[in-house]
Parts: sequence; structure tokens; C-alpha cells
Amino acid sequence: MQNKTIPDTRWMGLPHLAVGLIVIAAIALFGWQFLLADSEIAVLGMVALAAMAAFGVGKTGLNKSMSAAMRNHGRSMNIAILLALVCVIFLLGGEHFPLLMLTTTLLYMTVAFGLNAQFGLTGMVNFAGASFFGVGAYTAAVLTNHSALPPILILVAGGVFSALIGCLLIVPVVRTAGHYSAVVTIAFSVMFKTFLEVNDVLGGPQGLMVGPMKTFGWDFNSSPLLMGMELSFYVNYALLGAGLAALAFMFVQRLERSWIGLTLDSVRLDETASACFGLNVVRAKVLAFTFGNILIGIAGALYGMMISFIAPNSFSFSDSLLMVAIVLLGGLGSLWGTALAAVIVVLLPEKLQILQEYRFLLFSVVVILMLLFRPEGLMPRKVRSYFPNWRPEQ
Amino acid sequence: MTHSGNRRTLISAALAASLSLSFANGALAKDTVKVGFIGPLTGGVSSIGLGGRNSAELAVALRNQDPDAKYEYELEVLDDECKPNVGVQVATKLAASRDVLGAVTHYCSSVAMGAVDIYHKFNLPVIVWGAVLPDITYGNDYTEVHRINGTMINQNEAAAKFMTDQGYKTWAIIHDTTDYGKGHNEYFSKYLTENGGEILGTFGVTSDQQDFTAELTKIKQMNPEVVYFGGLTPLAVRIRQQMDKLGIEAQFQGASGLKSESYFTGLSGDLAEGTVTFLEGAPAEKLPGGEYFMAEYEKEGYGESFEAYGPFSFAAMNLLMDAIEEVGADRKKVTEYLADVQEHASITGPVTFDEHGQNTVALITPYVAQDGEWVVWSDSAYADGTRTLTGK
Repeated sequence: MQNKTIPDTRWMGLPHLAVGLIVIAAIALFGWQFLLADSEIAVLGMVALAAMAAFGVGKTGLNKSMSAAMRNHGRSMNIAILLALVCVIFLLGGEHFPLLMLTTTLLYMTVAFGLNAQFGLTGMVNFAGASFFGVGAYTAAVLTNHSALPPILILVAGGVFSALIGCLLIVPVVRTAGHYSAVVTIAFSVMFKTFLEVNDVLGGPQGLMVGPMKTFGWDFNSSPLLMGMELSFYVNYALLGAGLAALAFMFVQRLERSWIGLTLDSVRLDETASACFGLNVVRAKVLAFTFGNILIGIAGALYGMMISFIAPNSFSFSDSLLMVAIVLLGGLGSLWGTALAAVIVVLLPEKLQILQEYRFLLFSVVVILMLLFRPEGLMPRKVRSYFPNWRPEQ
Repeated sequence: MTHSGNRRTLISAALAASLSLSFANGALAKDTVKVGFIGPLTGGVSSIGLGGRNSAELAVALRNQDPDAKYEYELEVLDDECKPNVGVQVATKLAASRDVLGAVTHYCSSVAMGAVDIYHKFNLPVIVWGAVLPDITYGNDYTEVHRINGTMINQNEAAAKFMTDQGYKTWAIIHDTTDYGKGHNEYFSKYLTENGGEILGTFGVTSDQQDFTAELTKIKQMNPEVVYFGGLTPLAVRIRQQMDKLGIEAQFQGASGLKSESYFTGLSGDLAEGTVTFLEGAPAEKLPGGEYFMAEYEKEGYGESFEAYGPFSFAAMNLLMDAIEEVGADRKKVTEYLADVQEHASITGPVTFDEHGQNTVALITPYVAQDGEWVVWSDSAYADGTRTLTGK
């Protein structure tokens, strides 16, 4: 199998790694400018450019070269991507708003990775994503206000609480299948918001303040100085958010590639068959559900600290739908697709603010078009490759 | 074909835009400054947000037509969706862009609560146009945050003054135990005592209580002249009915939460008659500059109505632009100017900010129930003496 000749997928005669690095640099450059773009012409022009580039990538075989680069030079590529992200954060330096949007995107990405473990791998639809996100944020709010716990531990606590509250749901979710378990999570999502609204201790409908992130005497809400230049305090959160998203990506990717991921896949495809082959279906579901909730909770805690004020309205059912939409748009189980979809779902409505009350209309049109032309998602998950470079016979 | 057609219209549009721009520059040669507006343009309360947006736009358009204005104003409108997280995002966007000098922001209280910190952090002067929670101005010492509309504090101050002016001396207070009811009890009691009224007893009730016999029997023994209720209509209907059953002959007074048409459908006979209540703001035609505002709004031909808070948005935007005209394009100076606003003329009446940036002479309108509808007090048969309130 190893000796089988592979058709040359090189792009314009360049080695795969070089192509990969060029693409990463181009995307980083584009992202940097897109975050800064302000006028309608610039935003619409860049969206059109991205659409054209995406079309061109498919036509010129760049995508094949890219996936070869990811496959053969995984480590270098991942490091390059992370470096590019850090570069973009520092290039944005003093620009508060683009950094806030970038961090929000990264945190939503983390959430979507968590949902992917539940939905994409195991097939459990979680319509309470925003609720678990909210559990993390409210945990951060209560702990920063009423305890001396170091904020880095509060992040972890956000994940733990989210997982614990998820445990309440585990029995009904595992006992029901398919649509029914989705309904359980919808019910939870609605109940969660109502609970927050009537709960005076947690601020009621008006919400409550969240303390800032502080680590080793480093206050995240004060502006860092770099070579005499004052950067936005959002740089701190953006860096942490990038770290979090990268870690989440890594965990979910490792999970997918492991034997556990194989189990999760088979549970999704056929529960009865999996049980017949001796797989513990309940254990697989509990694991995926809890793991996803931990990621969502941690992201929620950091999000709460960053925006410093939370209220039940921020964690409504429609926000949960948005999170599920990210996973669907990206392609079930496809992590890169999820990352791309998070960017689209979070940034596009914001960039379309210029259209005021019509922006959601345009946003919905974009989503419908994508689902019409790419029903599998933007970047559908590939068939699991058990051996590097091995492809099934055509 | 369509492509070339599009291009042609695009080119001609660009040409027209650049022409008009150069014309404007040549004729006026004014500096352009940016001001912002934030409100809920999508979602459940979008009608109010769009009304506020149109009103702010109208204020800017009228100012730009004024040849005496020193600056050309450009309005940046953002949507907060009535969600705190989105509110924080757009507030950051506005506050962080350096060419925005000030903004008229927020209808939803929870959004405003989340955003005030941002305005303070970035020193952006803002005037709240619709959110009513007292803490937005009183919960902090931010010099950047102001509010043109009234809060439940102003409402109860006006209510206490109005009722003592009618000659009432003793009260029994019932309130529900939500934030709303507790807040009303707190502020009404405070201003009532200041105005010389006497509170005989205060009763907290849960917001779904059915039977008030226990509370009302005690109130009957106290024999107050007025029963004040801080809460919403459904409870008020039950209390009013049971007051009648127990034969309590006292004037019934409510808070803003009572002013709803369902008060009349819930009460049989003439039990509703003569109940008084108070509401922030006023019908537009009752405002000092209401006629002018409505005429101009009509002229612009907006698709949406200006709703309850449109006039406040209009007045806030005008106040902000007055400040910029006066002190120039500088955020700090605008903030300083707004700190000293005294008796500033506006279509909602003169504006005076206290040390927290709250408009102290915020407009509160008394309403009275007359023949099955809420009538503005000054137009009612009670004001001209043909009918009298209970006990007068």
C-alpha cells in the first residue's frame, strides 16, 4: 500500500509545505485586513474576494496541495497557523474592537469544537450550548465576586460546573435517542434562561458584573506595553482565547483520531450495531457529552471575564441555535470547517452592521445559499484515513 | 448585459456622490464629525429601537440643514439586539473609534448596565435615551454617562409631590416583591416622607398572590386616605376588587406598571374610575416641542412610528450636538459640557443633569382612569373640578 504511486498533487510545482505556508500567510493577511475593514465597500469587496478565492482554490487544485501539506507536515503547519494568529493579534495591537471580535470568534470556535465532539462525532445534538456557555460565565461571575480563587482556576471551575450541570441532563439525554434527546436539551435551554431571570442571587434579568482575568499579578484589564507602545487590553484576552481554541482543537483532534473517537463514530452511525459489538454506548455518550460541556464552560468563563457583564439575555435559545449552526455550516465533525464557520457566523453579522435592521436578512440568505450549494457543510469531514497517504481503490 | 448595466448605475452613483460631496464641501466647508446611536434594531423590541433610530437621524438631518451649525454631522447607527453581549460589542466598536465624539445609547436596561463600563474606559460621553433602571446613572460615578429620560426615582418623586399637592396626608403601601415593586416602594416612601406624607403601613406581596384579605383588613383598620400599589396590573385588579369588598374608602394610586388597558377589562362597574397612576415621558403631542417634532418626523416620511421614546432620542441627540457646537470636537470637553447642563431647552422640556448625569427634571405624566380609559391628568374631568378623587 505504501508503495502505491500517488498522483502528483503539487500546486504550480511548489513543494507542499511552501504552498501551505503561503496560504497561511495569505489567510492571516486577509483576516487582519478584514477585521479592520470598516466601510461597506471594503467589507463587501473582501467577502466577494474570499468567495472567489474559495472557488479558485477548488479549481486550481490548491486544496489538494494544502491537505497534502497538512498531512505530511502537520506539526510545522500547526505551529505556523498559531504563529500567524499571534502575529495578527499583535498587528491589531491597539485596535480594541477588532480584537474583541477576534477573541469572541476564538471563544465561539472553542464552543463549536466542544459541540463537535457531541454532535459531529457522537451524534448527540446539543441545543443548550449557550446555556452551558452561560453556566461557565455565571460561575466566573460568582467566583470572581465572592471568592479569592485565582482566575485561572476559575476558568477550570467554569468547565467543571458546566460538566456537573450537564450531569443533570445525562440521564434523560442518554435514555432518549435522536430527536428526543435534542428536545431534552431545548427544554433545558429554555428553563436555564427562565431560572436566571427569576433568580435574585444571580442578578435576575438585569444580570451581574464579572471580575477580570488576573494571572500571576498580571491584570488582563490593564493595557500591556510592548516596546513602548500601549496595546489594547483585549490583546491579553485574544492571546488566551487563541491558546484555548488551539488546545480545544488539539484535544478534539486527538480524541477523533484515538480509539475513543472510533467508538464515538460507530455509536453515531449505529447504536444497536455498536452495542452488539460490545461497545459501551452509554459510556461513549456520557464521555462525549461531558467533554464537550467542559470545553463550552471554559470558553464561557473566559467570555464572561472579557465582556465583564452578563445577563440571561446573552444565553438564550437563539444563541444555542447559532452555535449549532456553526457546527452544521462547517460540516459535521470537520474541525477546520468548524473554525471557518465560526469566523463566518460571528464576524459576518457584525461586519454587516452597516445594513442595520436588514443585516440578519442578508446573513440568513448567505446561510441558505451555503446550505443549498454545500449541504454537507463548507468543508465536509473526510473519510477517516487509517494509514497516511492511503486512499481506497477508485 | 446586467453586468454592464450595473456598472453603469454604479459609476453614475459614484459620480453623483462625489459631485454632491464636492458641492457640499465647496458650499459649506464644514468639518465632519461623527456621533453614534445604539438601540435594538432587531428582535422583540425593535419597533422602539427603530423609532429611536429614526428620531436620532431626524435630529442629525435637521442640524445638517442648519447653515449656522459649525460641523457637518455623520450618524453611525449600531444594533444592540437588546442583548448585553452584543451591546458590549457595539459599545466597544463605537467607543474605540476615535472619530466618534459622543453617542445616544440604549433602550434596554441590562444592555446599558453592561455598556457603561466601556464608555467610561474609553471616555466616550453618552446620553441614554430609553433605559429606566436607576443604577445606570446612580450605580456608578462615571462622568461620561448621562440619561435624558426619567427613572422610577423621578416617577415616584413626581408621584409623591403630585399626591401631597392634592391634599392627601396618609398612605398605606402595597408592593410586589420583585425588583420593580421593591424599587417603587423604596423611592415612593422616601419622597413621600420628604413631602410630608405619612405612611401608616407597608405590605410586601408575592407577584402571584390571589387573596389580599389579610393585608387589606389591616389597612381598613389604619384607615389611610390613599392606598399606593407598586406592581403590575393583574395584582392591582385583584387588590382594587377586594378593597371594594372590604369597604375600604380610599383613593387608589398605582405606578407605571398599572397603566395598561387590561386594568379596565379586569374591573367591573366603575371600580377603576378615579385611579391615578404615573408614567415616565408623555404622549408626544403633550411635549413642549411635540408639535414641531411630529411635523418634522411626518415630513421625513419614515416607515416606522417614533414610538414612546423617539422624542427622547431626538432630544438627546440634539443635546449632544449642542455640546459639540459649543466646545468643539473633543470628547473630554463634551463630557465636561454635559456635566454642567442646566435648564437646557429641548423638545421634552428643560434638561438639567445632576452629579450622576441623571436628568432631574425628567418628564413624568400623571394619568387618571376616566370612563374606561387612561386620560392625561391635565385633560381630565378631575383636573377641571367636574369630578373629584376619592375623599376630596
